[in-house]
Amino acid sequence: MAESTVHVVDDDESFLIAMARFLRASGLRTRTYSSAREFLAEQRGDEPGCVILDLRMPDVGGLDLQSALSQTGCPLPVLFLTGHADTTSTVRAMRGGAEDFLEKTAAKEVLVEAVKRALVRDQQQREERSHRDELLARFAAISAREREVLGHVLRGRLNKQIAGDLGIHERTVKVHRKSIMTKLSVRSVAALAQLSQEAGLPVHF
Amino acid sequence: MSWVTVVWSMIAAACLTLAALHFPVWLRNHDARASLAFSIAAACTAAIAYFELRMLQSQTTAEFAANLKWVQVPMDLLLLALAAFAYHHLDAGWRRVAIVAIGLRLISLILDFTTGVNLNYLELTDLVKIPLLGESVSVGRGVPNPWMAIGQVSVVLLCVFFAHASWMAWRRGRRAAAVVVGGSFILFILAGVGQAMLAHWGLVPPAPSALSLFALGVVAVMGYSLSAELLRAKQLVAELSEREREADLAAEAASLGIWTRDIVGDRLMASRKLRDLFGFDVAQPVTIEQMVQRVHVDDREKFRERLSQAARRRGEYQGEFRLVLPDGQLRWITAIGRVDFDAKGKPVRSRGACIDITSSKRAEQEMLRLRQDLAHVGRVSVMGQISSALAHEINQPLGAILRNAEAAALFMQHESPDLHEISAILEDIRKDDQRASAVIDRIRALLRHEEVAMTTLNVREVLGDVATLLRPDATARHVALEFGIPADLPGVHGDQVQIQQVLLNLILNGMDSLEGVRDRPRSVVVTARRDGPVSVEISVSDSGCGIDDAHFDRIFDPFFTTKVKGIGMGLSISRGLIQAHGGRLWAENTAIGATFRFTLPIAS
Repeated sequence: MAESTVHVVDDDESFLIAMARFLRASGLRTRTYSSAREFLAEQRGDEPGCVILDLRMPDVGGLDLQSALSQTGCPLPVLFLTGHADTTSTVRAMRGGAEDFLEKTAAKEVLVEAVKRALVRDQQQREERSHRDELLARFAAISAREREVLGHVLRGRLNKQIAGDLGIHERTVKVHRKSIMTKLSVRSVAALAQLSQEAGLPVHF
Repeated sequence: MSWVTVVWSMIAAACLTLAALHFPVWLRNHDARASLAFSIAAACTAAIAYFELRMLQSQTTAEFAANLKWVQVPMDLLLLALAAFAYHHLDAGWRRVAIVAIGLRLISLILDFTTGVNLNYLELTDLVKIPLLGESVSVGRGVPNPWMAIGQVSVVLLCVFFAHASWMAWRRGRRAAAVVVGGSFILFILAGVGQAMLAHWGLVPPAPSALSLFALGVVAVMGYSLSAELLRAKQLVAELSEREREADLAAEAASLGIWTRDIVGDRLMASRKLRDLFGFDVAQPVTIEQMVQRVHVDDREKFRERLSQAARRRGEYQGEFRLVLPDGQLRWITAIGRVDFDAKGKPVRSRGACIDITSSKRAEQEMLRLRQDLAHVGRVSVMGQISSALAHEINQPLGAILRNAEAAALFMQHESPDLHEISAILEDIRKDDQRASAVIDRIRALLRHEEVAMTTLNVREVLGDVATLLRPDATARHVALEFGIPADLPGVHGDQVQIQQVLLNLILNGMDSLEGVRDRPRSVVVTARRDGPVSVEISVSDSGCGIDDAHFDRIFDPFFTTKVKGIGMGLSISRGLIQAHGGRLWAENTAIGATFRFTLPIAS
């Protein structure tokens, strides 16, 4: 797995350099950007990490960048920094899904803690996303008829009932069930139910 | 003793008495020339009486001729005194005529001693005895001296002089003096001298000489006229002291302190109120230097200069000064005064009046202080509005310093710390520290509560500071803050902090008005231009919603606000500040938004 990167976006050059120095000294891989535009242009999106954003920047502000990020496929956790935290912008940032909201003069423990938490969360989100992707890939192998059968199975109906509902032979239902179990590599109906739930399948009951 | 002796002696005595009475008047006051002329005339009359008595009682022609010769001396002097008296007392007359007449009289006096036995006779043949007051007196008879005509021409000229002087005095309204002096003098000359002349030329029968008798009449008339003058003077003195008391009363009522300084005699008279004002005792003698010493050190030079300037040229002065009383109390006075000059243009007297203006000065200063307090309050409230922007600005360098210091501490824990990196960190820390203190200086400058300092301001620089303060706030509120100041704009006269306060207030208002504007660019534009020869106009325009018609007339009223958190003092204070600078502040609605404009005087 690739190492996490902390992206720092701030228009204040002096603070940007100091922040990068500190994060590097704390053992974190760091990249700096002097504007939101620059960050968006260079963002590849598939690397793990988090973003530290200055709330007040000319042109595209921190909050604008946050909403732009949240619309991409793999949002990085955003950690806001501001010179002075006033209520209005704090509320807006948190509502927009900010990971954290810190003042620029915050204690280093608080800052490091927040960055690590963001990175952990990014890691978790990344794992959840890959797990779901894998499940979705497995479910993608199931045919339309099998999907139909699966729906009835998950509702707890017997093979005979399913055959009746679908107007097919009971033995055919059995073949479909076996095929589903093999494709999803589960042994019991209970495991099948759990897996379907994890995948967040749009199963219509 | 004979009656003739008694009468002529009494004439002489009376005249000498009058002379003795009036001569001291002139001695005490050399300006009283009429008194001098009068006493000389009286003394001359006494002398004439003496010589006349000797003539009347002469036994030989030689004795008669000698006395007649000598009587010419007091006679000429008498005429001279009369001319002088008329000239000074009536303050009129042709001087040249008088001088010619007196000159002729002098020539006749020389002829008196050089031709014939005297001016009257070439030769005296005999003495005629004529009865007078019960005895017989001598009257001369002989060959008339033709040179006598010169003396007579002089007498005619004097008559013309007196007539003209009386006429002038009459026209000027001094009718009594004109009639008494002119009339009696001409009468004396016509009656006394004329009679003698006619007798001399043999046109009337010889009569005893009675010149002194007529002269006495003239002296009596002169004495009367002079005493009338003295009486009037006394009355004037009484009226004057009455006026003085009235003036004192008026001065007292108006709390005016009055002083008069005799520059020649170096004496100073100070009214009670003036002593009161300057803190002098009632009886203490006061000098001008003592007065100067009571003036506040900083005003002393100005006070002295006004006094000496008045003495040198203009004669009048006025000014406001501070006094420091012996107990240390400060008092403001306004002083007004005048210097009187004599005919030669030399300063002789200076007068002055002072009035206590301490309470009005205090009120004025109190008002100024209140206005400054109000301005301060306004400033603090403006600063409150942008405090979050300020906190942001100051935390920027502080945050950088903190992170740098922490990074350095972490680097130092390495086995072989990168010293280049650490020294770069230290340099950055120093720079950010300077940045932070620059921010603090700016805030302090804006919040300081000092006396107004009027200087020449560069509008561009003043706006530069304001822009730095407002830029972060404008950014956060998505407002484009633009400035259009021509490079050749002249400097303005004003207090930097107050002008910045007004600009902050107007720009913040403009930014507030953009709240909720989404359909057009959000901008606040500050421009400046020269407005006529003496002022510069600065305008702050926003693209907001403009000023509601219902509010338009009230926006400059104190405590009027349309903002939820506003106190409604910003525009009121701003207008007060601009007016105190001699400018105007007003508002206009434009096609989009509102524009506030104000003027400031161009620095001379």
